[in-house]
Amino acid sequence: MDQNPDSLKEGRQWWWYSSRLETGGNGMFSRKGGLNLRFEEEGCCFLVGISLFQTSSTRIDRNRNIFSRTSATLERIPSKSPRPVFHPPWKIDRVISGHLGWVTSIAFDPSNAWFCTGSADRTIKIWDAGSGRQKLTLTGHLEQILGLAVSAKHTNMFSAGDDKQVKCWDLEQNKVIRSYHGHLSGVYCLSLHPTIDILMTGGRDSVCRVWDIRSRAQIFALSGHGNTVCSVFARAMDPQVVTGSHDSTIKLWDLRMGKTMSTLTHHKKSVRAMAVHPREQCFASASADNIKKFGLPKGEFCHNMLFQHRTIINSMAVNEEGVLAAGGDNGSLWFWDWKSGRSFQQAQTIVQPGSLDSEAGIYALFYDQSGSRLITCEADKTIKMWKQDENATPETHPLH
Amino acid sequence: MAAMSLSKALPRPRYSGEDEELPTHTQSRGSRVVGAEGLDDSQIVLKRSGPPPYGNRSGWRPRSAEDFGDGGAFPEVPVAQYPLDMGRKTTSSSNALAVQVDAEGKVKYDAIARRGHSDKRIIHSEFKDLIPLRQRADAGDISLEKPSEEEIEATRQRTQNALSTLIGGALAAQKPKNIKGTSRPAPTYVSYTPDDQMGEKSGGKTRIIKIVERQQDPMEPPKHKHKKIPRGPPSPPPPVMHSPPRKLTAEDQEMWKIPAAISNWKNAKGFTIPLDKRMASDGRGLQDVSINDKFAQFSEALMSADRHAREEVKQRALMQQKLAEKEKEQKEEHLRMLAQKAREDRSMAAGGRRMSSRSSRSRSSGRSRSRSVESYDSRRSDDSEQAAVRDRARMRKERREEHERELRQSRMGTERRLQQMAREQNRDISEKVALGVAKPTQSAESMYDSRLFNQTSGFDTGFNEDQAYDKPLFAAQDAINSIYRPSMNQDDDGEGADETMDKIQGSKRFDILGKADRGFKGADTAEARDGPVQFEKDRDDPFGIDQMISDVKTGGKRYGMVESETRGSKRARVDDDEA
Repeated sequence: MDQNPDSLKEGRQWWWYSSRLETGGNGMFSRKGGLNLRFEEEGCCFLVGISLFQTSSTRIDRNRNIFSRTSATLERIPSKSPRPVFHPPWKIDRVISGHLGWVTSIAFDPSNAWFCTGSADRTIKIWDAGSGRQKLTLTGHLEQILGLAVSAKHTNMFSAGDDKQVKCWDLEQNKVIRSYHGHLSGVYCLSLHPTIDILMTGGRDSVCRVWDIRSRAQIFALSGHGNTVCSVFARAMDPQVVTGSHDSTIKLWDLRMGKTMSTLTHHKKSVRAMAVHPREQCFASASADNIKKFGLPKGEFCHNMLFQHRTIINSMAVNEEGVLAAGGDNGSLWFWDWKSGRSFQQAQTIVQPGSLDSEAGIYALFYDQSGSRLITCEADKTIKMWKQDENATPETHPLH
Repeated sequence: MAAMSLSKALPRPRYSGEDEELPTHTQSRGSRVVGAEGLDDSQIVLKRSGPPPYGNRSGWRPRSAEDFGDGGAFPEVPVAQYPLDMGRKTTSSSNALAVQVDAEGKVKYDAIARRGHSDKRIIHSEFKDLIPLRQRADAGDISLEKPSEEEIEATRQRTQNALSTLIGGALAAQKPKNIKGTSRPAPTYVSYTPDDQMGEKSGGKTRIIKIVERQQDPMEPPKHKHKKIPRGPPSPPPPVMHSPPRKLTAEDQEMWKIPAAISNWKNAKGFTIPLDKRMASDGRGLQDVSINDKFAQFSEALMSADRHAREEVKQRALMQQKLAEKEKEQKEEHLRMLAQKAREDRSMAAGGRRMSSRSSRSRSSGRSRSRSVESYDSRRSDDSEQAAVRDRARMRKERREEHERELRQSRMGTERRLQQMAREQNRDISEKVALGVAKPTQSAESMYDSRLFNQTSGFDTGFNEDQAYDKPLFAAQDAINSIYRPSMNQDDDGEGADETMDKIQGSKRFDILGKADRGFKGADTAEARDGPVQFEKDRDDPFGIDQMISDVKTGGKRYGMVESETRGSKRARVDDDEA
């Protein structure tokens, strides 16, 4: 405490501060420049230091020379949180009941005409997006289906299940035409590359496997995670694969080399859901402690979402308007403003009649291609469609 | 030739290596032994460190660290030099990292996290990486715009190229072309003329040799075994960018305490489980039974309604009673009125008749009234007397009847008297029998609980679920078999079938109780008697008592146990029994 931070080198200084952080609590120390730095513990899990500058800007200017020279790391903009944008609240529009088990995965057709859901009853059902009627039931998996994707370029659908199988369905014949063999345990997530014909699957063998769709050859086994890989998404630009795992890390992968580009260790609990923004180069990752946003080429930490969901988040999705929907294991469905990180609606699903209250749980959610409808797959064996309230205005639903 | 001419052309080498004497400054700097005479001229000792000055460096070679004198290497000296031990290959295997600094001269503390990783790897290790990007002052303008189509296309092309080689390799590995044994090159022919060897003449005969590649089994398993290469040392883990987890409080621990499941059916280890744990395990206490409030409201309402109804009924009954009373009163009044009226009418009529004799009547009436008052009093006293008289008469009569009955009873026989007593106690059913009302129970058996009879097989023998039957089903079979069949040991006597049959027939197995065909052993010698048992006077001394007494009297001494005779007799008797 009596050490003068000026005399410290920068790197050593962050050690010093971080050690202060690790000792926890709210440490406060003052420097001779009249500058107060306070470290606050935000919520229950993540320590974010917020420096409160003196209000007088002249004082800051006086100190800036010393300050920028010595500890540029601590220089922060006081509060540049963007104003939250108004989004109309979402309402349940339709409940589709047809599966005989938990509905665990969903994917939308690129033409926005239909969507498919995979369930714990080992079937994939294809539904008409407009009417909500069932069009088809596909059987073939031996266990629950945990990952689904529809190819935008070919008439193919991909499914991955707890039975270690990854299948490619031809939607013209409604048959399995390829099977990607290699996972040593259940497959938990699946993603298609947007520009190249490759397929990424992550599973309980803590490996993300990259498959060539056409030849069924495994190109890479992206290993490095210490636990189940439970979320994956692919991008057109580097890093082209991002995986989240139960070992509470996120890894960005260099697809050309099959090597890790970076490991993000900001989360404290397993990262079960990730959502990549359709326009911006950033993504959000959800774990039981927080939802965090990361910038993408480098994986720099953008910010936390401002409230705590306080449940296991199974799935997340974001649409072009910047509405991030996060579905919790207790049936809570929170809607967030992407930019500001505020939650503007905290909904709770209602279980279908005949279910237990404990069967409220959202396992997967997906926006349709236009982003105007949200579809949730739930533990009460139903699929629910949510729509925005058209009559809502900022006057009727003011931002608090 | 050329080398010779070259060596001639060159000057003589200054150092040949053999007879070279090291320069003084390169000689060992240990203690020098100096003679006494040499002390004078070497008093001044110059302690020098660092390199010798210029001009004196011929033949000097920097070896140790102080030869460099805080400076760098000497490029004019053509030997391997390690100033400050830099670049020296040390045998020590310390994996400590050298301190690295960045362009501004700051120590790079994340060098340890970067070790083993390529330069392209992004490692977030600084405190500023924990600060949200929009609060970071040095972040500048954060552009999260999507890349252009060209960039995407370029990336796609590069990635596709990189992957296609990989895919090609993977596919080639899937279908191996060179399966051994499949391709057999054509045999080669060699003409061979052997030389003369060891003085032996081959004769110069030329032979043609066909060389064929040895055939290989295409299915032969590989001779080597695939061995896993042990993994190299792992690259350092990424810096942890979150705070340590919270300490588990006692409350949290309590929250996570889950009682062990206790089955009501299985207890393989045979633990003794307290009753409260067993009760707790079935989760009965976990859900508290909450009775709906409306039950209480309902019963309350019922009770109040009941009370209300009772009250009403009571009120109504009271009202009705009052009404009835009123009506009765009215009727009485009416009757009284009628009676009055009738009396008045009668009196009126009588008045008309007795108008003439009113005076006498009035007198008589006065007298009669007085007498009636009198008679009324006397009548009351008479009434009580008469009642007493009646009572007495009745009592007298009863007593007389009792006496008569007693007299009659005393004259009656016992049977009659019993009957009489029975009748008095309402136990006489003879009349009922006569009327056919009382019937005896039809079957005597049904009166009894059959379980009471055969108690050994009844309930008190104990209910055993393991053995539903108390005795084997064919228990009697053995006995039956042994009764009617000749046994094995009877057969193996070597007797004929007839003899056996005779024996079976002859042997009486079933004796009639008390009439044994055979008496006790030794008794069959006795002659048959008719009449009572006759005893004989004892003449000799069967037990040898006299003998013994005489022995004692004579004083013949006996030592030890002389019981050979008795023992022998005992044994004989035992043998007798067994025979």
